[in-house]
Amino acid sequence: MDIKNEVLYRVYFLLFGIVVPASLALVYRTVEITVFEGSRWRAEGEKRYLDYRTVEADRGNILAADGNLLATSIPYFDLYFDAKAAPDEVFEANLDTLAHCLAYYVLEDYTVGGAREYLVSLREGNNRYVPLRQKVSYAEKKFIESFPLFRMGRNRGGFIAEKRSERKRPFGILAQRTIGYVREGAKPVGLEGAYDEALGGQPGQQLMICVDPSKDLWMPVDDLTVIEPESGNDIKTTIDLDIQDITEQALSRAVNVHDAEWGTALVMEVETGAVRAIANLGRTKQGWWETYNHAVGTATEPGSTFKAASVLAMLEDGYLALDDSIRVFEGRAEFYEEVMEDASPYSYRLDSVSLREAFEISSNVGIAKAVEQFYGEKNRRNGNEGAARFIRRLKQFNLHQPVGIEIEGEANPYIKEAYSEEDYWSGTTLPWMSIGYELELTPLQLLTFYNAVANNGKMMKPYMVSAVERNGQVEEQFYPTVLNRRIASKEAVRQLQELLLAVVENEQGTAHKLQAAEYRFAGKTGTAQVNYKKGPRGNSIGGHQASFVGYFPAESPKYSCIVVINKPRRGGFYGGDVAGPVFREIADNIYRAKPQLHPVLNMGAELALDEGSLPGFSLGDPADFRSLMEQLEIRPYGEPETDVSVLRPKGDSLMIEPRTLPEDVVPSVVGLGLRDALSVLENRGLKVSVEGVGKVARQSIKPGTSIRGQQIKLYLR
Amino acid sequence: MSIAKRIYAELQGDRAIWGVIAVLSIFSILAVYSSTGTLAYREMAGDTEAFLFKHLLIVAGGLFLTYLAHLMHYKRYSRAAPVLLLISIPLLVYTVAFGADINDARRWIQLPIVGITFQTSDFAKLALIIYVARTIGAKQEYIKDFQSAFLPIIVPVLIICGLIAPADLSTAILLFVTCVFMMFVGRVALPYIGLLLLLGVVVFAMLIILGEFFPDAIRSETWVNRMREYMDSPDGGYQVQQAKIAMANGEWFGLGPGNSIQRNYLPSPYSDFIYAIIVEEYGIFGGVLIIALYVTLFFRATRLVTKSPKAFGAMLVIGLSISLILQAFINIAVSVHLVPVTGVTLPMVSMGGTSILFTCLSFGMILSVSKYIESVSAEE
Repeated sequence: MDIKNEVLYRVYFLLFGIVVPASLALVYRTVEITVFEGSRWRAEGEKRYLDYRTVEADRGNILAADGNLLATSIPYFDLYFDAKAAPDEVFEANLDTLAHCLAYYVLEDYTVGGAREYLVSLREGNNRYVPLRQKVSYAEKKFIESFPLFRMGRNRGGFIAEKRSERKRPFGILAQRTIGYVREGAKPVGLEGAYDEALGGQPGQQLMICVDPSKDLWMPVDDLTVIEPESGNDIKTTIDLDIQDITEQALSRAVNVHDAEWGTALVMEVETGAVRAIANLGRTKQGWWETYNHAVGTATEPGSTFKAASVLAMLEDGYLALDDSIRVFEGRAEFYEEVMEDASPYSYRLDSVSLREAFEISSNVGIAKAVEQFYGEKNRRNGNEGAARFIRRLKQFNLHQPVGIEIEGEANPYIKEAYSEEDYWSGTTLPWMSIGYELELTPLQLLTFYNAVANNGKMMKPYMVSAVERNGQVEEQFYPTVLNRRIASKEAVRQLQELLLAVVENEQGTAHKLQAAEYRFAGKTGTAQVNYKKGPRGNSIGGHQASFVGYFPAESPKYSCIVVINKPRRGGFYGGDVAGPVFREIADNIYRAKPQLHPVLNMGAELALDEGSLPGFSLGDPADFRSLMEQLEIRPYGEPETDVSVLRPKGDSLMIEPRTLPEDVVPSVVGLGLRDALSVLENRGLKVSVEGVGKVARQSIKPGTSIRGQQIKLYLR
Repeated sequence: MSIAKRIYAELQGDRAIWGVIAVLSIFSILAVYSSTGTLAYREMAGDTEAFLFKHLLIVAGGLFLTYLAHLMHYKRYSRAAPVLLLISIPLLVYTVAFGADINDARRWIQLPIVGITFQTSDFAKLALIIYVARTIGAKQEYIKDFQSAFLPIIVPVLIICGLIAPADLSTAILLFVTCVFMMFVGRVALPYIGLLLLLGVVVFAMLIILGEFFPDAIRSETWVNRMREYMDSPDGGYQVQQAKIAMANGEWFGLGPGNSIQRNYLPSPYSDFIYAIIVEEYGIFGGVLIIALYVTLFFRATRLVTKSPKAFGAMLVIGLSISLILQAFINIAVSVHLVPVTGVTLPMVSMGGTSILFTCLSFGMILSVSKYIESVSAEE
């Protein structure tokens, strides 16, 4: 046999002896599995119904500005038992003790023997997913997990704990609507809705097996592809819990006292536009509740509070100075046969007043007539812009645009276009607009305007979320945003500020009786009629909406605030009577809660301490020393762990040094206060008697004497 | 000249083998695309196209590699063999000692600078096959001798396989068996081959014992578990049962491209169990076609051997095609539950960068031999 032939024989043997039979075997097996056993495997596929099921990620928290939890997810567990998981010998070895534990702590209806029988029946019945207990806390789960058998885990012990979670708002109703919710089948609301993506995280996937298709019960299959869920980020809001609480309480009292339909109150930080509190209370069958975010979502005719915008327009155009006289026609005037009247008790005696007075007393006629004079038909007939100029000014104040708050559902403001037929512009539109009718604004939008006035003309965008955080680390920071660098000239804004202050501080002002003693605030009252019908024979009114909007402290405004009470039925309806006191209560309490708002009393350089002026060589309890130092804002050195310590001056501070007293002989307590001396001596079994007051000057037994329960006398001086 | 004609002219060598490569590539792209759904969800935020694109690039790169490799004269590979083998030994040692763990097995090293993970056993496998082919070819005159022929062949085989075995037993066994087959075809005396098989069994036993002491380096626990699973459950473990369900879903003509249901339940449907997915989507018809393609490859290789005048070329072709068909058959045998679960990929079809590139290189070498054999027999 030559080389070539031997190679060929061997190759042919490989081909026909191994490769071809092997390939035939593979083909046969493929056909066998697919066809001969096919129906069985297909049935298996349907029976072993596996699916990748979503595992919800832990939802992030919503935090208040100080880090307190406004909304958080509390985990809980549903516990199940897989009776078939354990091998026979393991199951039997643990059966008795497990039955015992279960009977005592989990299956309370069973005796130990009953529990044992139950466990055996579960195993015989092939039960792989027996509900043990639902909604247990982490601690309970840990406890039950420590039972015999269960502690061997899922695969060997058959203990299954499925984590679920529940959304909780630790502060209850506080800012509830603003925090909002995300629910299946409902429109997402509030910050939960607006930041759903960031809060929600990335859901994971886990391979689960359907153990009972009729009940849609799924059990995780371990050791197989699991996509770990990625927990959501936290949202840090601008909400200040103190201010929120203050605001909510003040509003709650008011809606109750006045039996209102709904009320809302908003507090904003002047410099940044950060919303510090947002409260909404609406009437429900179960009492007052945060049912709708009126502050953001309800645009209404604001009424007199809008006069600030009308006056600012005239000041900006230089048409009027504060002391220019305008006519108020004794508080009653007709515009195209429609009657406008003042609510002020002062008006009916007056024919003309200064602009300042007209604003203070909130004269409808005065403001409307002035606006009519400068932007009305006569002005237009003289070839000027007329009302178009007025509207342009309002737009300059950003009153025609939503402010773009983060949460869903901000209502659009409604400002008519000048002379627009589409907007039903008529001869009465301009005068009524000037006093806050025939236009709509949300409380938030109006507050944004007032906030800009308080901020010397710089309009900040209101915002409620300052950062997205992850494990306490900032992921994304949101900074204050300027909406309009200057809504009007400095001088015009300053004059308006003066007017707003006058409303509170001048005797005729509509908010005069709200004036506070400790601080100054500025603002404007508003009493708008709702569901009214204008007619030549007087107006019919379907209720009022009382409001107050302003800011404090007036000298350097820190917070602006608006209060709107819709349809008060009791205790008056004027803005100054219904909404004003709420504003005052909020401002009072914020002022008290925030010492940084108070004027500084002891302005001056901090005192430098030197060794000579420090007390030295005092004996005493180190903890007492430390708390005393803290009060005095001195940072001491040293943290001795002895009962007694001595104080020594060191540089510009004090050193607390340890002083060890002997345990078995009488120690020296000279220099100690009575309390410290008593505790030292009595702890050593000595009987103490005392004479005099002050510190220990002398002791009757010499230090170093051995202790035998003697009587010791201390002389204090 | 039309493009088709131009390509046809460029591709020299056995056109049937080119055809096998082309059809396998098409299957590969289709099956990988349809089975990477879960992987894409896990790693690429659901971007299945990202995997398709990456895979397309690798297949295209691989085919280009085949083209380049087939242009070269196969004797050059022979000359490079000892060097390659010498390089592969420190690489394997490094992998066992410091390699990256992927899927709990230390089979990979991270290439410096480029940062690609790289399965060193693929490289060593190719180097060893070329070396064995070269040695058998060179020593044909006295191949039956123990000291001058058998030993020089068997020592490198044992070293390389021994180094691969701790982390990747299946690849080591396949490589060992490939070399035994090569020696068988290369006329090594049958008693020595019997001796070799015995030696293999002894080494395997030793590794299992060593695994008790070095569980991190040697995965003997996994092997024992898989063997036990194979022995104990007549229906196979979870993975095998899912593979069977997949194939049963396919019946004769399959559910159609992209319609696999079981891809969601089968772990690694894009590599270890890709045959099951192919049968699910293309039926028995598709499965038999895949098997037929590998048999065709081997058949063409046999034909080359019968024609080849030079022993090295014949040995190289037979070695490479044995390696490919052995790997393919073992992969398929896992899916049809004829052998325990191994983790061997289906060459040229399963997803995986190094595996496809080295398979393509093997194809290129086979084609290089075929090209020269054809030119010689045309001259004859």
